[in-house]
Amino acid sequence: MLTFGALSFAAPWLLTGLIVLPAIWLLIRITPPAPRSVRFPAIRLLYGLQSPEETPDRTPWWLLLLRLLFAALVILALAKPLIGARQELVGSGPVVIVVDHGWAAAPGWSDRKAAALDLVERAERAGRAVALFPTAVSDSAAIERGGLMAPDDARTFINGLAPQPWPTAPAAAAEQIAAAPLGVPAAASVFWLADGVAEPEDRVLAARLAGFGSLTVYEGGESPLSLTARIGERNALTARLTRLAAGAEEIVNVRAVATDGRVLTRAVATFAEGEPVAETIVELPLELRNELARLELQDRPGAAAVALLDESFRRRPVGLVAGSGFQDSQPLLEEMFYLDRALAPFSEVSRGPLEDLLKRDISVIALPDTGLLPASEKSLLNDWIAAGGTLIRFAGPRLAAASLENRGLGESELLPVLLRGGDRALGGVLSWNSPAALAPFEGETPFADLPDYDNVLIYKQVLAEPSIELADRTWARLADGTPIVTAMARGDGRIVLFHTTANTDWSDLSLSGAFVEMLRRIVAVSAGVGEAAHDGTIPALETLNGFGQLGAPPASARPMALGAGTPPAIGPDHPPGYYGSELSRTAVNLGPAAADMLPLAQLPEGSRTASYGGGDELDLAPWGLTAAALLLLVDFIVTLVMRGLVPGVGNARTGATTAALLVAVLLSPGLTGMASAQTSSTMSEQERWIMRAALDTRLAYVITGDREVDEVSRSGLSSLSEILNRRTAVEPLEPMAVDVEVDELSLFPLLYWPITAAQTALTPNGEARLNLYMRNGGTIFFDTRDRIGASPGGAGPGLQRLRSLTRNLDIPALAPVPENHVLTKTFYLLDTFPGRYEGGRLYVEQGQGNTGSEVSPVIIGSHDWAGAWARSEDGFYRFPVVPGGELQREMAFRSGVNLVMYMLTGNYKADQVHVPAILERLGQ
Amino acid sequence: MRHHAEELAGKFPPLLVAAERVAATVSQGMHGRRRVGMGEAFWQFRPYQVTDSVRRIDWRRTARGDETYVRETEWEASQSVWLWRDSSPSMRFSSDRALPEKAVRTDLLVLALGALLVEAGERIALLGEGVPPRSGRTGLNLFANTLENARDSAASLPALESLPRHAVIVLVSDFMEPAADYAEIVGHYAAAGVSGFLLQVTDPAEEAFPFQGRIRFDGTESEASHLLRRADRVRDAYIEKLALHRAQLQDVCRTAGWFFARHVTTEPPEAALLKLYTAMTRQDG
Repeated sequence: MLTFGALSFAAPWLLTGLIVLPAIWLLIRITPPAPRSVRFPAIRLLYGLQSPEETPDRTPWWLLLLRLLFAALVILALAKPLIGARQELVGSGPVVIVVDHGWAAAPGWSDRKAAALDLVERAERAGRAVALFPTAVSDSAAIERGGLMAPDDARTFINGLAPQPWPTAPAAAAEQIAAAPLGVPAAASVFWLADGVAEPEDRVLAARLAGFGSLTVYEGGESPLSLTARIGERNALTARLTRLAAGAEEIVNVRAVATDGRVLTRAVATFAEGEPVAETIVELPLELRNELARLELQDRPGAAAVALLDESFRRRPVGLVAGSGFQDSQPLLEEMFYLDRALAPFSEVSRGPLEDLLKRDISVIALPDTGLLPASEKSLLNDWIAAGGTLIRFAGPRLAAASLENRGLGESELLPVLLRGGDRALGGVLSWNSPAALAPFEGETPFADLPDYDNVLIYKQVLAEPSIELADRTWARLADGTPIVTAMARGDGRIVLFHTTANTDWSDLSLSGAFVEMLRRIVAVSAGVGEAAHDGTIPALETLNGFGQLGAPPASARPMALGAGTPPAIGPDHPPGYYGSELSRTAVNLGPAAADMLPLAQLPEGSRTASYGGGDELDLAPWGLTAAALLLLVDFIVTLVMRGLVPGVGNARTGATTAALLVAVLLSPGLTGMASAQTSSTMSEQERWIMRAALDTRLAYVITGDREVDEVSRSGLSSLSEILNRRTAVEPLEPMAVDVEVDELSLFPLLYWPITAAQTALTPNGEARLNLYMRNGGTIFFDTRDRIGASPGGAGPGLQRLRSLTRNLDIPALAPVPENHVLTKTFYLLDTFPGRYEGGRLYVEQGQGNTGSEVSPVIIGSHDWAGAWARSEDGFYRFPVVPGGELQREMAFRSGVNLVMYMLTGNYKADQVHVPAILERLGQ
Repeated sequence: MRHHAEELAGKFPPLLVAAERVAATVSQGMHGRRRVGMGEAFWQFRPYQVTDSVRRIDWRRTARGDETYVRETEWEASQSVWLWRDSSPSMRFSSDRALPEKAVRTDLLVLALGALLVEAGERIALLGEGVPPRSGRTGLNLFANTLENARDSAASLPALESLPRHAVIVLVSDFMEPAADYAEIVGHYAAAGVSGFLLQVTDPAEEAFPFQGRIRFDGTESEASHLLRRADRVRDAYIEKLALHRAQLQDVCRTAGWFFARHVTTEPPEAALLKLYTAMTRQDG
């Protein structure tokens, strides 16, 4: 290998080829380029003309240079130039590669991997054995272990290696290395790809490695950060970041991520210069706090850079004790309604009986107006409050009655103050005083920072007996000084009493923003849940991987014993993540354990250091050859131009044309894309059909396949539409034909369907579509048109066909139109519904009498209405009516009008039934 | 092409080629002969004679008096014009893609002239195709078809035909053959009493010789190629030679009393058409 500074040649002998360059120069120089050739019609005139002086034809100097450069480039490229060629491996034994793949290795993992692969490559080149040892292993866990392996296996092994979410175990690794058959010691080249974080037993490993031969330690690379989340002062969520070495100022983004992966907010943490710790407050509205699942550092992968949050970080869950059986009577006046609306924006509200609520993690319980509590519930509540629960009670008629009965209620009844019997009404017909307003909030209470709410009036309240503690226990007063909210601490918890109701019976409070804010303050000061230690062991639910992504726990994960005070040791047995069950999750984070990380201590004597990422070889041969190829291309074009074989060179116009052509070719996929976009932007036939049907009210008929029948349907509905336009408020446009198998049915309120013998059977798809249509409120008007052909009492051909046709349709039980059916009075008052034929019956859904609330999905008749309505082109009616008379034709139209009205107005006209009764009542 | 040519011709007033009053070559056309003959225009009434066909009696005039009158019309005649254009490969040349080939331009000019002539009632034919002159719309169509079919003929000189006396001949070419050849042709036709119009169509490159450097020139009609080492050095000599050639051609024409004009393809075709127009009308009288 020949080396000039950073540049070296792997095949230097090829450089001798440069000697021939002068020869090439001479050769090219004396060979003139071929002349340009031009077609010229007036060539006869040129014969005999010759240039006055003859200069020898020479290759232009720049072309000469171009060609020489080309030759030189080819020779140089073939000599395999390399930039930054690496040094050879020293030693002769196996190449031992020790890879730290603990949590700290996650940042810059690709660099570490590349370094390991590079080492394998070099070892392979030198024909030396490779031994690989990952360090984040433990005796107890079945994790891939290293050893002596072939280079290809080593590559696979390295590619399969990923950082683990726990610290490295240098001692265990050292033992493994000791156990491996590495042959002659002291001859090996040992490379330790360190993660830079000191572990207690680093020295053991380093010493062991140094014993094998020359030790090179890779250092540098991206250093890890650790993140710890905690609830700080004033309930603020604080993120604390630690870095390995206190260096220059560094800014890191902390992301607050919701359960579904949304980023709720970002906070910026700044490491001051020389400061290893940074803190930032993640400001998040209470409303969003509940959705928060984790904090993580942006662009800093790693298990330590993620702080999982569990219930202890969440907003306080609130339980509403569902009251007595009056529940649903007037939902908008219920206390529960007001409480729910006031609490829901910032807390998780659950309802239920008290016992059920207490079984869950609940931090606040709101108890609407109740009298005396049963002893069992009282003791349950007592225990819960003592353990940190906050009970919010509300006064009301029941509490007032109970206190009146018992001549006052006190702390034993889970009240913060002693209540007088009965209530106090403020204002009212028999009272001198007026409803009282809230006094401004003052004193050392959670409400202290609330503004004045002067629009709140209290009409009634329960009164507290004056006592020494009363002032201390009062959180809010009325303008006259009587307490309206009192509270008392008991055990770790608290009891709060609103001396008025949670609904509007006694006060306006529940309608006011003050109510929401007060409840919010109370909930905020309540102790959270989940801090109470679970006893026993909890299984891993979801764990982080080395890059800080949540996933299923590894096979090595074991249930964790959560004893009081002992932080769980994170390792292969206990990877960081969520433990417990879906309902009650406990977050185990690596961050706190990683917070006190230290940089790698001193290395053993005689070891060398190397850095990640550097020392990449750059092979210049491909670049050289590419450049040579480009030069060849340039030469080719130049030669063509010189010989005049490129049409129109030097002609700007042609150049522009060529460029335009080139651009057009490049853009053609885009253009075709635009073209297709354009075609799609114009409406398709189907869309136009739908627009036509949807934008106006239209009657519709089903295409039967019999042309004549279809034409009769069309013209019949057309003249019915005309009648409707003329006589009623319904203004339908021309009717449309519908293919039930294909077309969108939901656009039409009514489908007129004449049954013909030729009607093809429905496909399952068509049946499903019709069923859906009827279920969603559409009506199909079947006309069997066989009034004449029907044998008395038997079914005519149309009806038979209809039966087979509708076998799979979801048709309700039918009955003849009863007297007083809506259909008989939607527009005209009708007894019968004649069409072309008279007599016979019209069938609608059964039980759909005067009070039916829906339009019948099916109407079946046999009178051939369209036949009666249809006109030919010249305006005459197509068919005579049977038995006859224009009166019958008129009645046929009236039937149609009523039918359409029925379809469009539903049972609206059924209310006409009540008109006499209403009039009678009004008359009184 | 046809459409383009007619459009071009439409810009001119109908061109009446001055007809020479020689009966042999003329037949009925639109030039009034100022004597009785076949035609459309009224010439005179004259009394009926027994030899006259009864169909020729003008009943309206006769009813006005006692005499029986016959209506006579003016004898009209038209001129035959033989057109020729050079369609040899040397015409299929343009020095710039934006310019039309010389052949395209000559075709256009010939067709436009044909359209003008037909509109004026003349009869036209393509020289050397053996098709007799025809007038009217059909004549123009026939002429256009012949022009289309004769496009690939390699003749760079017009054929020597015997034309009727006092016919008119229009030759459009680049006239790059030796001047002696043209002198022979012009002499042949002039001797037959034919009057002629020559239009030389050239490419700007042929006029200005804008070439530079080492160039091998290839002919268009399998002439031997010619290598010039410094083309720009011979430019002046070339232009001189071209001028000489043109002067010879003009001499030939002057001797025969023929008309000679030149046209470069960079000029609008109307200009050339106008030259011919004025030349042909000037001969009138």
